[in-house]
Amino acid sequence: MQSIALLTLGAVFIPVWNVLTKTHLSDVQTSSIARVSDPLPNLLSDLYLFLSISFLAILLGVTCAFYLEEWLPQTNWIRRLVESQVALFSGIPSLLYGLLVVTICLPYTGAFKAIEASLSVENLDVTPLSATAFQGDTTLFYAAGLTFVLLVMPRAIKATQEALRSVPMPIRESAYALGASQWQVLMKHVVPLAIPRVLAGGCRAMSCALAAAALFIGIYIWGHTTQSGQMSSSFALFLGGALLLSILSSFLAERYPSVSM
Amino acid sequence: MDLQTTPLNYSIETENLSLWYGDFQALIDVSVKIPDGQITSLIGPSGCGKSTLLRSFNRVNERYGNVTTKGKIEVLGKNIYDPDVSLPELRKAVGMVFQRPNPLPISVYENILFGLRIHSAVGSLTRTEADQIVEEALTSVFLWDDLKDRLKVRATTLQLEQQQKLCIARLLPLKPKVILMDEPCSALDAEGTLAVEELMEALAGTYTFLIVTHNMAQARRVSKECIFMFLGELLEHRETQALFQTPEHPKTADYVQMRYG
Repeated sequence: MQSIALLTLGAVFIPVWNVLTKTHLSDVQTSSIARVSDPLPNLLSDLYLFLSISFLAILLGVTCAFYLEEWLPQTNWIRRLVESQVALFSGIPSLLYGLLVVTICLPYTGAFKAIEASLSVENLDVTPLSATAFQGDTTLFYAAGLTFVLLVMPRAIKATQEALRSVPMPIRESAYALGASQWQVLMKHVVPLAIPRVLAGGCRAMSCALAAAALFIGIYIWGHTTQSGQMSSSFALFLGGALLLSILSSFLAERYPSVSM
Repeated sequence: MDLQTTPLNYSIETENLSLWYGDFQALIDVSVKIPDGQITSLIGPSGCGKSTLLRSFNRVNERYGNVTTKGKIEVLGKNIYDPDVSLPELRKAVGMVFQRPNPLPISVYENILFGLRIHSAVGSLTRTEADQIVEEALTSVFLWDDLKDRLKVRATTLQLEQQQKLCIARLLPLKPKVILMDEPCSALDAEGTLAVEELMEALAGTYTFLIVTHNMAQARRVSKECIFMFLGELLEHRETQALFQTPEHPKTADYVQMRYG
C-alpha cells in the first residue's frame, strides 16, 4: 500500500517538478505589459496571495483547534458555536468552494476587462506598476480571500481536533496523575503523538485550496484564452500540488495510525 | 477497632464531603479517615461513588469538568482545596494507579523518570543518579530482574502485569505518601493479581494505600480496614474482618454475602 502511494507520489512529482522549473518569475510577476496582454499572470499573483493566506489560515486553524480542545471545556458556548460552524463549513465539498470563488470573481473579470479596455497602449507607462488586478474593487478581493479562508480553516480545525482526540485518555490521565501541568502534558505527550495527523489534516486542507485554485484557473482559461488545447502550466502546478498534498496526507495518516493503548 | 491502642495518624480525612457532576450528586456527606501506612479498601456496587471518592483525593476528577465539591478534604493534614495548594505538588504526594495499566508510550526507563523530570529542573538529573533511581524503583516492584536488559523497550509492549507494576514503580521516585488505586487488578489474570497484591503488601507501611476493588476476596486478603459505600453514601467503615463477618448495616450484609452487586 505504501509503495503504491510512493509510486503515485513520484509520478505526480515529476511533471510538477518540470512545471516548477519551467515556471519563470515573469509568469508570476505582474508587469504592466503582461497585464494588458494576458490577464492570467495577474490572476495568478492574486491566487498566490490567496494560497499564502490559506496557509496562514491553516496555521491559525491549528492554533484555534488546540485552544478549543485543550483549554475550553466541552460545554463552553464559544466552543460549541465554533464546532457547529466548523461542522457546517467542512461539510461543503471543495468543488463548491471553487465554484463560489468563480461566481465571486466573475464580476471581477468583467471589471478587469473594463480596466483593460480603458488602458490604451499610449498611456500604458503612466499606469502604476504596483496596480493589482483587483484595483477595480477591493471588496471582491477580500471576498475571494475570505472564501479561501472559509475553505481551509474549518478543515484544519476539524482535523486538528480529531488528531488531539485520538491521543488516548489514559496517556493524558497518567501524566496528569503524576503531577504534570497541562503544558507539560501537551508538549511531551499530546503533540508528539498528534503531530502526524495534524500535518495530514493541514496537507489535506491545503490540497483543497490548491484544487479550488486550479478549478478557478481551469474555468478562467477555458473562457478567456484563445490558445485552446494547451493546458496552462499554472493549472498543472496547482492540480499537481493538490494531488501531491492529498497523497502526502493519506500517506501520513497511514504511516502513523492512531496510538492505541 | 477496639484493638487499636496507639493513636492513629490519618493520611486522609474528609468532613461532610459532597460532590456533584452537574446536577447528579455522586457523593453525599462522606466523612472518612484513612489511617497511615496500611491498606484500606473501598467496596460497594458499581456507581456507588468509590472511584469518585478516590479521584477527589488528588483532584483528578476536576478535569472532567462541571464538578462541584463541598466539604473538606485534608490530605496529610492540609486542606487540598486551599488556594495555595499546588496541584503538581499534591499529585506528587498522592500517586495514582488506574484500572487499566497506562504506562506512557515511551521506554520503561523514561516512564520511571517521567515524574521526576517534570518535577525537577531540566538537566538536574545526572546519568548515574537516573540509573540508580530506575534500578531502585524496579527492584522494589520486583521487576528489575525481568526488565534490566529491556529498559529501552517501549513500555506499552510489556505484559499487562508488568505494565501495572511499572505504573506503581514510576510513582516511587516521587516519594509519595499515599497511593490511590482504582481497581488495579481488574485487567490482570489471577497470577498478575496475586503478584500485584504481594507487591502492595510489601510496600504497605512505607506508603498508605487506598484501593477500590470489586473483588471482595481481594479486599479481604489485602486490606486492614474496609469501607462500604452505597449510592454515594459511606455506610460502614470498619476493620475488614469485622465488616465481612458481622456487618452492621443490612446493605453491607447483602453486599458482602453477594446477594447483589
